Amino acid sequence: MNGSIMPFAIFFASIFTGNILLTNYLGMCSFLSVSKELKTSTGLGVAVIFVMATTTPLNWLVYQYLLIPFGLEYLRFIVFIIVIAAFVQLTEMTIERYSEPLYQSLGIFLPLITVNCAILGVSLFMVIREYTFLTSFLFGLGSGIGWFIAIIAMAGIRQKLKNAKVPPGLEGPGITLIIAGFMAMAFMGFSGMIAIS
Amino acid sequence: MKAKATFYKKRIYPLVFMFAVTVFCILITSGLYLTTQDRAIANELSFTRRAILDAGGLAYTPTTEGIEKAYLEKVTVEDGYYTAQSSDGLRYILPVQGPGLWGTIAIMVGFEQDLSTFSGLAIVSQNETPGLGARIEEPWFTKQFQGKSSPFIFVNEGTAQAPNEIDAITGATRTSEYFRNLTNRAATDAKRIIRGE
Amino acid sequence: MAKSKVRKTFLEPLGKNNPVFVQILGICSTLAVTNKLQNTMVMVLGVMFTTALSSWTLSLLRNHIPSRIRMMVETMVIATFVIIVDIVLKAFYPEMWKQLGPYVGLIITNCIIMGRIEAFALQNKPMLSLVDGLASGLGYAYVLLAIAFVRELLGTGTLWGYQVLGSWWTNWSIMIMPPGGFFVLAIFIWIIRETIMKEEKA
Repeated sequence: MNGSIMPFAIFFASIFTGNILLTNYLGMCSFLSVSKELKTSTGLGVAVIFVMATTTPLNWLVYQYLLIPFGLEYLRFIVFIIVIAAFVQLTEMTIERYSEPLYQSLGIFLPLITVNCAILGVSLFMVIREYTFLTSFLFGLGSGIGWFIAIIAMAGIRQKLKNAKVPPGLEGPGITLIIAGFMAMAFMGFSGMIAIS
Repeated sequence: MKAKATFYKKRIYPLVFMFAVTVFCILITSGLYLTTQDRAIANELSFTRRAILDAGGLAYTPTTEGIEKAYLEKVTVEDGYYTAQSSDGLRYILPVQGPGLWGTIAIMVGFEQDLSTFSGLAIVSQNETPGLGARIEEPWFTKQFQGKSSPFIFVNEGTAQAPNEIDAITGATRTSEYFRNLTNRAATDAKRIIRGE
Repeated sequence: MAKSKVRKTFLEPLGKNNPVFVQILGICSTLAVTNKLQNTMVMVLGVMFTTALSSWTLSLLRNHIPSRIRMMVETMVIATFVIIVDIVLKAFYPEMWKQLGPYVGLIITNCIIMGRIEAFALQNKPMLSLVDGLASGLGYAYVLLAIAFVRELLGTGTLWGYQVLGSWWTNWSIMIMPPGGFFVLAIFIWIIRETIMKEEKA
């Protein structure tokens, strides 16, 4: 273990202690607006898992085999976002064509995802932290799952909250952010879970 | 004629437009990148040099020129490590890197002549969680190592007293553990590399 | 007449149409660095630069962009400005660049920028769009700077890196940790909605 980063530690850390939404605030926009309903949240969450787990290794390949050999690392922002947008578009078209039910449950969320900062964020983190291919994949997958857990937990809480009395100024985003704060604290509590020798 | 015009408008024009925008954008960014490249490389060099000076506890004026002057005057490059003459005697400075929670942490560790007392420590690069693990970069944290000797024990933030105790970072258990392993390894590495033990 | 329109465009995003309080947009990329005032300042300057100039550029191009590739062109222009910010930071403020890490790149996905372009720049003249972009950036900036002010002061007892609270002060570590950002933003939104917005409704 000495001298290397443990891929599985990263996988678990990206789900719990380093949850991309709760510690890096990435993907807040769609989180705040979509977490009103459990059903939509689940759909979007699954779509995020899928896109993160696929675009992160894809961007890794593009970065290692296209950008670095040509010395174009500084263009990575543009290239990554184009890769993500193109991939999302392709997947949407494929699903629409071959599976109507899947499109109804997942496909309609895909366009929302291109503008989700968490997706680009994961790719950028992956580059800065110099991950290997496997680690990138696990990091993307873990971050996706972490985002999914956070949004369905929030949607569940918000549904219970519908009948609660909330001060008028706190309704909507205000109370959501406060709950997110508590969730962030709770998720930090996971940090004792994996032991490092 | 008309069909041709719509064909042009629908297929060719968007392509040409996109191409023009892309070329223009890449020209601007590439131009800027190339003109600032030397500066960026110089910055990187200066950054490493400053980490070496910090680790050795050497005085310098905190400007690019000041760093260069102090570095060239005081530091000698050896095989895999650096030596420097400070006002309190010879210092050995060793670059060490190891895994952090999210990515590699690279540090410079300075030793007094006994090769176990730290004369200082500087972070070269790290990718830990902002606000949590990334606080290892804060001066209060790195300054703690000065004058202490390994093996270190990390205790709760704000309670370190004994000469081998270091304040860990609240909420960043994992990063603190990795950092403890890294600093403890630095001392054994130093004896091996510098003295051949 | 024209002058009052410019004024209105400028003042709206600062007050009753504030992107953060009213539309809750674009907090992703910057909230993470609000535990330090200095970092926040650099980030919001980057956002202001990008919002203003990409609004202006796209407004210039607005009659020529084919609608099918609109999003692609917008992203391209935004990304270009963000890369400029990144390169300039790397060359002239390397330490700041290191600390901000990937967050500079994430300005691209800041919803305010795309939002202002779609909602305003594509329908208005370049200069007016520039004003709108700048004002939206400013409206965003002061909110985040206020959050950073509270978080840094309570979290470490410092402001802009200088110690301002004496040794009697016990740092609220929670403030500089991620949950602190959520709480401070929520409380800000609460205060604003209870005071300023209520008056407007009445």
